[in-house]
Amino acid sequence: MMKEFNVIGKKLAAVGGQDVVTGKAKYSPDLELPKMLVGKLLYSPHACARIIELDVSKARELDGVAAVLTAEDIPGENSYLYWYPDQPLLVSDQIRYNGDAVAIVAAENEEIATAALDAIRVVYEPLEGVFDPEQALNQGTRRVWDEKENLHSHYISEWGDVELGFAQADVIIENTYSTHYQEHAMLETESAVAYIDHDGTIVVYASTQAPHRDQIQIARALNIPEVMVREITPRIGGAFGAKDEANVQIHAALLTYATQRPVKIIRSREESIRTHVKRHPAKIKYRTGATIEGKLTAVHMVAYGDTGPYVNAGEEVMMTMSAYGAGPYYVPHARSEAYTVLTNNPICGAFRGFGVPQVTFAFERQMDELANRLRMDPLDIRLLNCIKTGQQFQPKAVVRMGDGLRACLEKASQLSGWKERIKISREPEPNLKRGWGVATSFHKVGFDKNVSDHSSAAVNMAQDGSVVVRTGASDMGQGAHTVFAQIVAEHLGLKPEHVKVIRPDTTMAGDAGASVASRVTVFSGNALIKAAETIRQTLLDIVVEETGADPELIILRNGYAYIEGEQINLRIADLAAKAYERNLPMQASGFYSMDFPEAEMPDGSSGYQHIVCYGAHVAQVLVDIETGQVTVEKIIAVHDVGQVINPKGLRGQIEGGVSMGLGYALMEELHVDQGIIQNTSLESYLIPTALDIPQIIVDVVELPEDETPYGAKSVGEPPTNITPSAIANAVADAIGKPINYLPISPESVLVAIKAASE
Amino acid sequence: MEEIRVNFIVNGKSINLSADPTRTLLSVLRDELELKGAKEACGQGDCGACVVVMNDKAVNSCLVLVGQIDGAEIITVEGLAKQGSFHKLQDHFIEKWAFQCGYCTPGMLMSAYALLLNNPNPTEEEIRASIAGNLCRCTGYNMIVEAIEAFANETAQN
Repeated sequence: MMKEFNVIGKKLAAVGGQDVVTGKAKYSPDLELPKMLVGKLLYSPHACARIIELDVSKARELDGVAAVLTAEDIPGENSYLYWYPDQPLLVSDQIRYNGDAVAIVAAENEEIATAALDAIRVVYEPLEGVFDPEQALNQGTRRVWDEKENLHSHYISEWGDVELGFAQADVIIENTYSTHYQEHAMLETESAVAYIDHDGTIVVYASTQAPHRDQIQIARALNIPEVMVREITPRIGGAFGAKDEANVQIHAALLTYATQRPVKIIRSREESIRTHVKRHPAKIKYRTGATIEGKLTAVHMVAYGDTGPYVNAGEEVMMTMSAYGAGPYYVPHARSEAYTVLTNNPICGAFRGFGVPQVTFAFERQMDELANRLRMDPLDIRLLNCIKTGQQFQPKAVVRMGDGLRACLEKASQLSGWKERIKISREPEPNLKRGWGVATSFHKVGFDKNVSDHSSAAVNMAQDGSVVVRTGASDMGQGAHTVFAQIVAEHLGLKPEHVKVIRPDTTMAGDAGASVASRVTVFSGNALIKAAETIRQTLLDIVVEETGADPELIILRNGYAYIEGEQINLRIADLAAKAYERNLPMQASGFYSMDFPEAEMPDGSSGYQHIVCYGAHVAQVLVDIETGQVTVEKIIAVHDVGQVINPKGLRGQIEGGVSMGLGYALMEELHVDQGIIQNTSLESYLIPTALDIPQIIVDVVELPEDETPYGAKSVGEPPTNITPSAIANAVADAIGKPINYLPISPESVLVAIKAASE
Repeated sequence: MEEIRVNFIVNGKSINLSADPTRTLLSVLRDELELKGAKEACGQGDCGACVVVMNDKAVNSCLVLVGQIDGAEIITVEGLAKQGSFHKLQDHFIEKWAFQCGYCTPGMLMSAYALLLNNPNPTEEEIRASIAGNLCRCTGYNMIVEAIEAFANETAQN
């Protein structure tokens, strides 16, 4: 029976919503400070080149130019990135991708800043770049970095004995899949405003998913203590992974430090597309073995990811691909390998899904091919192989709960009318073919065991019982702050309008960890519950003192104390006032890191349980076999979320994730030629518009997980992981031929159809 | 380039200023008039984040030049609440969760406003077509369409 909550699971307007609809919401490009300068970066026109000469003297002499900085002007370390700091802030020797910056300027206005960039003299010697990730691994190919090979890492995730597993298989399917770059295209490009506070603190307002990570890197670049850097996130106009790693905030800090004046840097759309990270393109070889009944016996996956010249999140993304390689299925023998390859192509990093959309495409196409070969229904074969509670999905990990996948598949089947689809016309017109595709995937909550992954949060209650939530967790539009307000309001029995969430601020709040990996609700939510619980106990103690009631019978709700279900004449405001009178602390902090309960692995070794969430999508498409055009008619998206906290916010995240997946599958394509992106505008990189999105039917499965806030898991990434595969399977079903690479452009559909008839 | 003097009305207020005729309306709104609602998200008319309503039509303000605004009547998101019952459109956006990061929202609201001024009872297709030039990366649009529909229905009933 679902527990009845007061605020959790209820509709609640988004925090800050009134400001958004009236145009008052402030994003970093909207911030104005007296004597603020405009900052700009000078980017290399080449993807791979040596810098022969760099002369900024003319630029420095221009009227209205306050500073021009190059690598030698950086007080501290000339490197950034959190995971693997190998990217120079400013390059002085070798350009390794088309987005490398060689200088930064600060000037009185945009015009003068642009003139300053033009006045910088750089002489480049173009070098032969490495642009083919497969060739990159060959012996004779030039090295992206002299001191190391182009193969950055090779991860293997395995259990059982794949040779044995394949020997046991009645049927073996082997295919090679490939997926492409994706551009985040968040509406607000990368931006930052930096200034120096009265006490010398460098303050940076940045559009970021990770204020504390940025703080560390700014301090390192300026060679000052971390506490002398303060990063604050104003409202953020979307991120999806693009703002996980630092982009312009350290440069803005460098310029403010050099000029002693506020500096604002905003990347133009062209600069943004050109320079910020992309989703890793991948080539995935996948071998699946199964019995004649359709039970998986073995899988062997080998994935190659082109990460560009700087590792960025590349190693983590490829590790993730190998960690998810076997899919959300029971696979007794598995080997998933992932190679991270360095090239001079655009750098790749975090993007909603973080490697899972790519690997899902491979294993979900494989499941459909298997179903095809065995003449089984694609949904039935997935139900047959669904992973269950306690089963292995990584060398040392089992899923803590597994029932969610079956439940999602069954609900998706029901909502989509899957079993009745044969009654619907497959050929509504002579040139139109209709098809249906199902796909599933899964996503861990949190990174992993033995990895730094934790969240701090604090709650202050004022004398009138209203509360401030001090969090370092970035809300980039996904609704995290609204979730926090609901969690704290629920726990303390307050009305949500009496809970205020601050803008994340490294001085005001502890490190919540980055807003990535679908971790924020669980990690920050749990930290907040701990903080709120301390205060709740104090308030309960006062009720006991005042009334003599049994503490087990007291609850706080709707701004009042209740004993045995009856509201008593003690408001939370009264309790707070008494706490202050009685010298009881009304500030509390909470810290959370994940507990991974032990588990025994099939081979007898010791492992752990990991919380996972599941999802299942069904896509219905129409393919025009004359033009190759694919129209998605309907998408059913069912997600295993544990407990819904905010139903509208949840629906928004799922529909947004589905749309991003649809764009990735069908229309988004970056054209990269010799390491240079050819389509750096939203006119030529097409993301879905209101005319491209079909009816999306959203539903959830609520099987609460232990150790999560009110049983809630996550939903940020799962939808984007699954939609592309559901669409690909639907197209393959419509035309009766495999779809083995993304994007599914009209040309690729026609090629596939032509191959079918030959 | 030599500046020109232009007179125009923004949100009911008369503005008289002197500016380079090749400057964009967007930059004048944001930098001269401190109206930060309209956003620059592409600078070349591809995304709709800068949409305002000029002489009852939705325009990408990043493509409108100062030389074109003399005598114009402009409504921005900051002035929407005062236009008849359109504050309820804003309420519906909140109620229906028609935004997440909110960056596209001012432009989205103004495109909807322009549609509803001329067509108070639009079909779903017409709503989608009216916001087809407003890119949103967060919502997937369906909840935005529902918010506009809800407002249109509520207004039609009154």
